[in-house]
Amino acid sequence: MTDALAPFVEATVRTATPLAFAALGELVAERSGVINIGLEGTIIAGAFGGLVVAGTAGAGLGFVGAVAAGMLVAAIFAFFVVTLKADHIITGTAISMLGVGSTGTLYRLYYGTTGAALETPTLAPFPIPILHSIPWIGGAFFAQPPVMYLLYVIVPCLAWCMTRTSVGLALRAVGERPEAARAAGISPARVRWVALLFCGAMGGLSGGTLVLAQVGTFNEGISAGRGFIAIAIVVLGRWSAVGVTGAALLFGAASALQYLAQAMGWGIPYQFALALPYVLTLAALAGAGKRSAAPASLGVRG
Amino acid sequence: MVSARADVSTALSLCDMSKRFGTTQALDGASLDVRRGTLHALLGENGAGKTTLMRLAFGMDTPDTGTILVNGKTCAWRTSADALRAGIGMVHQHFLLVPAMSVAENIGLGRGGVFSGFDPTCTAAVVRDLVAATGLAIDPEARVGDLPVGAQQRLEILKALSHDAQVLILDEPTAVLSPQETQDLYAWLRRFVDSGRTVVLITHKVREALQIADDVTVLRRGRTVMQVAAHATGEAEVLTALLGETTTHGAPHARAPRRTTGKTVLAVNGVTVRDDRGTERLKCVTTHVCGGEILGVAGVEGAGQLELLRVMAGRRIPDTGSATRPARVGFVPEDRHRDAVIGEWTLIENFALKDAGRATGTMVWDDYRVRAELGVRAQDVRATSAHDRMDALSGGNQQKFVLARELEGAPEAFVVENPTRGLDVRATEQVLDALRAARDAGVAVVIYSSDLDELFSVSDRIVVCYDGTVHEVPFDRQAVGRAMVGLS
Repeated sequence: MTDALAPFVEATVRTATPLAFAALGELVAERSGVINIGLEGTIIAGAFGGLVVAGTAGAGLGFVGAVAAGMLVAAIFAFFVVTLKADHIITGTAISMLGVGSTGTLYRLYYGTTGAALETPTLAPFPIPILHSIPWIGGAFFAQPPVMYLLYVIVPCLAWCMTRTSVGLALRAVGERPEAARAAGISPARVRWVALLFCGAMGGLSGGTLVLAQVGTFNEGISAGRGFIAIAIVVLGRWSAVGVTGAALLFGAASALQYLAQAMGWGIPYQFALALPYVLTLAALAGAGKRSAAPASLGVRG
Repeated sequence: MVSARADVSTALSLCDMSKRFGTTQALDGASLDVRRGTLHALLGENGAGKTTLMRLAFGMDTPDTGTILVNGKTCAWRTSADALRAGIGMVHQHFLLVPAMSVAENIGLGRGGVFSGFDPTCTAAVVRDLVAATGLAIDPEARVGDLPVGAQQRLEILKALSHDAQVLILDEPTAVLSPQETQDLYAWLRRFVDSGRTVVLITHKVREALQIADDVTVLRRGRTVMQVAAHATGEAEVLTALLGETTTHGAPHARAPRRTTGKTVLAVNGVTVRDDRGTERLKCVTTHVCGGEILGVAGVEGAGQLELLRVMAGRRIPDTGSATRPARVGFVPEDRHRDAVIGEWTLIENFALKDAGRATGTMVWDDYRVRAELGVRAQDVRATSAHDRMDALSGGNQQKFVLARELEGAPEAFVVENPTRGLDVRATEQVLDALRAARDAGVAVVIYSSDLDELFSVSDRIVVCYDGTVHEVPFDRQAVGRAMVGLS
């Protein structure tokens, strides 16, 4: 059992990291009242942006490219949803399809149809002294590519900003009651633009992590539904930064369970393990109760 | 009035304000001059432009033409933040609070720079100081959604005062308050004004306005038609300015001797109703209504009156006890847009909603069209045809349409909740007349209204709901007012 535990935790954290980045971005967008279904498109744009920049400038600058590409896609989404007051779901679906479709096309254009084996520079793991040798969990939490450590900064910062800064207060007010925010002299449109650009940056980071710190290559549809899973994670995490991170880890653990099951020879069909994260979400949603933590104006146009 | 514009004793001055929304000219050169240290009542029918004018003054909308002067200086607002900085605060009719956040967070909203922190304990201390200074009691840590409306309103006032508002604009502040809370608010506003600051009170209650205000301005159709000191005018004069013609509104209705049929039509016996959380909203209530009488139900918000009416209308099944109801009961719910009509549908389709739950088989549209047209004629609904969309009608005409639909087919009982909410003086009178006509035809009518004047003008008998119990009270304003706050 102990032999299998360290790899299990490692796989959990690996799977959870890009999900957590994306979900934290989505969290901020939803707190401002915008449901960003286009997150999937943002992630894959980030993955592709990272690939392009890393190819010439290395993995470190690749992350800058990933963030920029994510923000670009988020800006398109924000222009339609915030400035033109279009429907969130329809616009988001279009952005997702645009992201997946256009990265696929561009990839084939630049790298050819045989580029599947293309390799990109990746970020090497950076073990943190002492901490990385903690039994069982040290490797998973403290011997990761440095980008993962950003989570240790972003999560407490976000949690603190949400309740302890004027920006956080404004963000939540806009998501709950935009008119009330407006009466207090806050521009809901500006707040939503900023929130969506942040969401884009985080989505881009998620895609960048995938390509530049984990897989080491790009293929069409590499985001593989992570954007949609991240949206479910936000619900599961009750719209709080800490909750969302926990939910991302839970998703990671549920996905990693299949490796554990194989290693232990439990004989459970792997499809059950694959379905587990989704079963968890359904159970969480059903048990969410009547008093939802969702921002009151979530998904409302204008 | 004209010379006052450059006068420094004028705290707020609005000159020739015009504003158009789509095809509606909401304001058409309206003006308002508010002297410092006075309580100024702004009167007008619904749609006269009162709220629009004040939203312009508070920077929530931009005027098409016109100038705003604060203390004699011309101002142009980009957002409400500019107005707040200039010392103008506004308490909106529909509170602009964030229910999911705490009192302190609501007060902290929009303050400080982009990168400044927010300290809940520090803000709570600021709120406590404000509470001490103003006498408006509120718990800074409470979640706003859990507060009763009276406290929410105090919070709105505190919010404005936290920006050091010198001019406080209140939009229909008493609409949601009990008589006692209204008294308290007016007393507080008077003290506020006596301390040298200024209040603009938007209201449609002429009598109250004349009692409490120093000056009165009347708007009609987006123009200022009267601006006068309150003591220099009278109710009749203001109403004439308000409506544009002489009217009998406010005159006491001759109380015909009671002609009830003496037969109990609707009765509830020992009825208890619990809400979702298991709290008893009605506690073993027994009451009845006879044919040919109007039973008025009074009560502050949440006292159980709505549950009582829903049980009477057969819309709510009591948890214990029983209700005796006739076969046909008409019902007019309080929230017209949510519960009574569908705005995007035509009048005919809305008419077909009557008893839709019991209807089976195919829709005979010709039949519904004829019935809708008859109803439109019966209640004098102003529509070009029954094919009009519901939301093309004014609020008053929508309500008259609902009355027509629910009164069709001679119901034995008729239950109405706040039937004149949001209606102007004229439409209110028409709705109340329809209730009187139904009563005279022998229908047992039950009305709940948050406006006591209205209850007294239309009812034959009044019961008061207080904390889930129902009390028979004498037909007397004092007695009803006391019973509503639990004093018997």
